[in-house]
Amino acid sequence: MTRGARSDLRGDTAVAVGCAIVALVLLLLPPARRDPIAGAIRGSVMAPAVALQGRIAGTRRAMADQRRLERLADSLAQRNQVLEESAAENAQLRAVLGLQARLAWGGIAAEALSHPAYGEEHTRVLSAGRDAGVESMSPVVAPDGVVGLVSAVDARSALAITWAHPDFRVSAMSADGNAMGIVSAHRAGGAGRWLMEMRGVPFRSVLAPGTRVVSSGMGGVFPRGIPVGTVQRVLEDEGGWVRTYLLTPAVRPTDVTAVLVLMRPRAAAGVDSVWRRP
Amino acid sequence: MTARALPLVVAVFVLILAQFTLVPLLGWRAGVDCLAIAVVVVAVRVRPGAAAVTGFLIGVLADALAPEAFGAGALAMTLVAYGASRLKAGFFEDRLLLSVLLLAGVKLAHDVIYVVAERRLHGLALLSQLGLWSPLAALATALVGAAVLVAVRPALERRHR
Repeated sequence: MTRGARSDLRGDTAVAVGCAIVALVLLLLPPARRDPIAGAIRGSVMAPAVALQGRIAGTRRAMADQRRLERLADSLAQRNQVLEESAAENAQLRAVLGLQARLAWGGIAAEALSHPAYGEEHTRVLSAGRDAGVESMSPVVAPDGVVGLVSAVDARSALAITWAHPDFRVSAMSADGNAMGIVSAHRAGGAGRWLMEMRGVPFRSVLAPGTRVVSSGMGGVFPRGIPVGTVQRVLEDEGGWVRTYLLTPAVRPTDVTAVLVLMRPRAAAGVDSVWRRP
Repeated sequence: MTARALPLVVAVFVLILAQFTLVPLLGWRAGVDCLAIAVVVVAVRVRPGAAAVTGFLIGVLADALAPEAFGAGALAMTLVAYGASRLKAGFFEDRLLLSVLLLAGVKLAHDVIYVVAERRLHGLALLSQLGLWSPLAALATALVGAAVLVAVRPALERRHR
């Protein structure tokens, strides 16, 4: 190492030692002396950095708050959804229990299990079967009215076709008994597939919109007096002697989770007073 | 200021800015120390005396925001900047891996000097800081520093030629 280089190195070391000594002095200063110096630096050179840090702290707080609020909102929405579903199911169960109490005997409570497969709107699996007394061709009802008909039974479950099934028919009449007809599913697409048709109503029996339609008891399956639907409007005239009416159903099959299966002796005994309007 | 020093000044300014904007936003316990990176970027390119002054100034700026240990950062930065400059001049070739190792060493040494000088941590807290968080911070600083060196090296080398 040359003399010049050694001299430069000594100078560098002296500068470094000087800086270190100043730093040590700063470190050992009492707060009363130290704070004004730090404050002066913060208020001048570091003022933009201090301002930026303030804004950054605010941004971090806002981000944390937003994440917390999002989690809270998600949790509340989920809880609300579960509560709504539970409330709807509870209401149906209470209604079914009330219906069963009014029937007094011959009603078998069952769950209408949903299975998201093609054809669900036409058929439902019931949680009660032969062991519980369910028989084929037994009426399936809900507190609001006709749901469908048991089509197949095994030991612990049963398959029911709903009124939306193309093969379903129920003999029906206006609530006052003046007009008779056969009710089946309305063959239409879109929202119209959830409507019913009441066919073969005599021309002289005019049904005003809003008229209640109930099962007539003819045909030997559905007893008289179970709500089927409400008249919406005349759909068509058939050859001038009879009319077809469009009905709003009393029960929408996809909304049903709890049902009653009427045993045959109970259906034969009649249910006139059970669905009578107060 | 010469045109040769301009890229270096810009790099240091951006790193100091990142230290007071990006690092607090990330909020990591073992955070990246952009000031240590800035000190190393300067220290390996200037004489040890100038490196010590740069380290001292950057340390004082940082200390102004943490006045309880005012001077500790300046002392730590002065020593590591001087040491880095001496090491670079005496032993190291200009290779990325060696620079990254230097960065990690500088950050670790800085933390040791700072923590000892400020005399705030004791016992288990001191051990966990120096045994866990400081090495992790040194690793993070070295990795980010490597990226910074790769990014700024072309501009700085062009000016040196």
